Amino acid sequence: MVEVPWLERLRGSPAARAIARRPQRAGATAIALFVAVLTAAYGIHDVAQTGLNGLSLGSVYALGAVGLTLVYGILKLVNFAHGDFLTFGAYMAFLMNVTWGVPLVFAIVFGMAMTALLGILFERLMWGPMRARKAGLLQLVLMSIALGLVIRYTIQFAWGTQIRTLDVNNIATAEFLGLRIGRTDLIAIIVGFTVLVAVGLMLKFSLLGKQMRALSDNLALAETTGIDTSRVILYTWLFAGALAGLAGVLAGAVTDIRPEMGFGLLLPIFAAVVLGGIGDAFGALAGGIVLGLVIEWSTLFIDFRWKNAVGFAVLIIVLIVRPQGIFGSARTV
Amino acid sequence: MSVLLHPPFAITFDFLTATGFWTGVGVLAGVYTIFTLGLQLNVGFTGIVNFGQAGFMAIGAYAMAILVVKSGWSFWLAMPAAIAITVAFGLLVGLPSLRLRADYFAIATIAFAEIVRLTAQNARGLTGGNEGLFCEGSRCFDDSWRSVSDTIGGWLQDLGWSNPEALFPLLLVVWATALILIAALHFAKRTPWGRVLRAIREDEDAARALGKNTLAYKLQSLSIAAALGAISGFFLALDLATIHPADFLPIVTFVGYGVLVLGGLANYWGVAVGAILMWVILEGTRFIDLPISDTQVASVRFIVVGVVLIGLMAFRPQGLFGKREEMVLGE
Amino acid sequence: MNDANGRILGVADLVRSFGGIHAVDCASFDVERGSITALIGPNGAGKTTLFNVITGFYRAERGAVAFENQAIFGRPPHAIARRGMVRTFQITKALARMPVIDNMMLAAPDQPGEKLRNMLLRPAAARRREREVRKQAVELLGIFNLQELADHYAGTLSGGQRKLLELARALMTQPKMLLLDEPMAGINPTLGRRLLEHMHRLRDERGVTFLFIEHNMDVVMGHADRVIVMAEGRVIASGPPEEIRRDQRVIDAYLGSGPEQSADEERA
Repeated sequence: MVEVPWLERLRGSPAARAIARRPQRAGATAIALFVAVLTAAYGIHDVAQTGLNGLSLGSVYALGAVGLTLVYGILKLVNFAHGDFLTFGAYMAFLMNVTWGVPLVFAIVFGMAMTALLGILFERLMWGPMRARKAGLLQLVLMSIALGLVIRYTIQFAWGTQIRTLDVNNIATAEFLGLRIGRTDLIAIIVGFTVLVAVGLMLKFSLLGKQMRALSDNLALAETTGIDTSRVILYTWLFAGALAGLAGVLAGAVTDIRPEMGFGLLLPIFAAVVLGGIGDAFGALAGGIVLGLVIEWSTLFIDFRWKNAVGFAVLIIVLIVRPQGIFGSARTV
Repeated sequence: MSVLLHPPFAITFDFLTATGFWTGVGVLAGVYTIFTLGLQLNVGFTGIVNFGQAGFMAIGAYAMAILVVKSGWSFWLAMPAAIAITVAFGLLVGLPSLRLRADYFAIATIAFAEIVRLTAQNARGLTGGNEGLFCEGSRCFDDSWRSVSDTIGGWLQDLGWSNPEALFPLLLVVWATALILIAALHFAKRTPWGRVLRAIREDEDAARALGKNTLAYKLQSLSIAAALGAISGFFLALDLATIHPADFLPIVTFVGYGVLVLGGLANYWGVAVGAILMWVILEGTRFIDLPISDTQVASVRFIVVGVVLIGLMAFRPQGLFGKREEMVLGE
Repeated sequence: MNDANGRILGVADLVRSFGGIHAVDCASFDVERGSITALIGPNGAGKTTLFNVITGFYRAERGAVAFENQAIFGRPPHAIARRGMVRTFQITKALARMPVIDNMMLAAPDQPGEKLRNMLLRPAAARRREREVRKQAVELLGIFNLQELADHYAGTLSGGQRKLLELARALMTQPKMLLLDEPMAGINPTLGRRLLEHMHRLRDERGVTFLFIEHNMDVVMGHADRVIVMAEGRVIASGPPEEIRRDQRVIDAYLGSGPEQSADEERA
């Protein structure tokens, strides 16, 4: 770590220390303030309406981020191909839903299952053997980028660059409390949050979930306590793949499907991971939702075309101000 | 659209056109050589994983073109000014983020490059947005270059080439620049300055313990890479005759890493070889006669690049011409 | 060269904590100029953390550090090293993919060629200095019996050779004071003896002050002029070896963590 003087002075200030002690509370307070100011400026209706869109976006981010963060924590792999896992899931669902005409429910399950298989396939083909050779960080990063290219352009080879949509009703809307939301969006939010809660419960209470978090925290330590690491690693890929697949299908359902969709989602998902503290599964869930909300709320005062830039700006600010994350359990980097 | 996705050349086997085709390939190889020299300095000789090189390339190209087209500056003055602006951005990005761990720094720089690209896309008044930037009224950013190009073309005719390729003068200039830069970097590598950079690559704390201000050196390394990115941006702009946000997608940086790994880490001459190889692979696929669509051909090129990269990382991480002993990856 | 007595390093009330635990807890001590001072203490006493704080690698919450009567607290590591206080690391940091001779030449101070500007404006000055530095480096390598390995990559050296290289490299900076973190650990007794001889000779001939962390009591008692004892982040005693040997607080501190200690000595 190189210390930048002015930044260190900022970090040393009493306010910064208070924030560092309770980052989650500070983060929650900041967001509450943000919402309060927005409500005062634009009214409760607009804030709630954009917030609803934020939940839809946030659940996609959160689903993508959990897998990415666990793969990082457990395998020390910054998986740049993760975004293309989302794309793969979406196209698998498209194949079943549109090409074969099977109802969407089955298509979603199919997309998740195929993406999970894809994760396991490359674990067996690439990541396992590379770990055995003690490959370095950059070596693995470049491999994951290359893998992402292979997945993305294989999809483009097979399906072309045309924009595809799933067989969903994108016109029907639901209305409640004066808010309006597309039916598909609503379903996506419900499905996304149901799965996210299930994932959270599974991580918190099941043996596998505890083992995953333990490994993500400290691989060497967890190994000495007798966890079957190779089994957990396999389940991690299964888990990361299935959730990425679901995220891809949901993203594809509410908007559309194209070969570069996943790569476009990758950086915001990274931002969610960093917000939650890299390697922290609960942090990634929270980070994803928060990021989705903040991005949508930002459209109230910034042109929507800058939406993606907001995500990247959040990413950079968090990395610079607090690289160990805000919404995760605090720990040192 | 991006050169990478939609190459500016038609598919043909006509011999005369093929000369033009390979001239174009040569120009792109030269552009990517300069682009990747910056990555080599960062990754191979300083150990900092810069994933924002496409962002620097974009800032250089846009700054130059905006100064010429919008502010009416001379092309020759706009270039050094654009380099200075890009270096300033390098410092701005590096100062807070170079203290981060390598993986965090990589993510921070790629996010920076994306912000640059999105800004180019959305700040339409300045950059022309998705329509791109070329001329304003009668003033185009490459006016000065075209007169130089014509002069060189005239010399070529004097030398007996009756109808020289339009891009040939650019090919000459881009490669002359690339070779000068390689020689300069090669010289810098062997100076005490270069030795400090290598020490930082090996172990930053050791260098600090010996009294080296490592942050200052890392900033210099990143700034020089930014300047090299800017220069490659000028040439890309002259090659395409228009500047467009899609020319600076993250994939441009990834292809740069492909060039880097092909040529080998910690080897400046390897960058040139890697860039030529990369563009022969990318463009050479064009000559394979397959009953598939253009999009599919474009897809195959990137699948090939991906597979080659994976193979290299798995079986020859030091690259084709890298030294085993100085293998920067894999530890 | 420098037989004047007095304080070269003063440390007062230094505090550094990790997640609420005080790794260094109000540590205070002085190091005399031209002395060979040992820093001992049970595992987890905060010795390495103390080194990191003194040399600027860690930032302390509170306290004061003065080197040659100038405050260096809060200064960055490279600035402290340039003032003449240079450290080595517990796990050696040989620059593996650089030749041994480059490891040495890197450490030389006042090389104008380390500024890119000077390489363009005054290349002759840089080359001249480079020749001087190379001569010094070869000389020092000779003293440490490493001259044969000058052109080998440092990564190919044995553990003991790396320790010697690190010491030789630190000497290239022409330090006034060296902080050595377990210099004897992991090297064979012959090399260890040679390292100790070097320490004495450098102190006698060049007036270099040494502060070193060591677990082997025979080495500490036999070679140090003064001993500083740390336990649980505090300095609990300091003085000449004979005095320390009899100090009840020291004996208590060590008895509290006896088994760990013997394990450590076996490793060393």
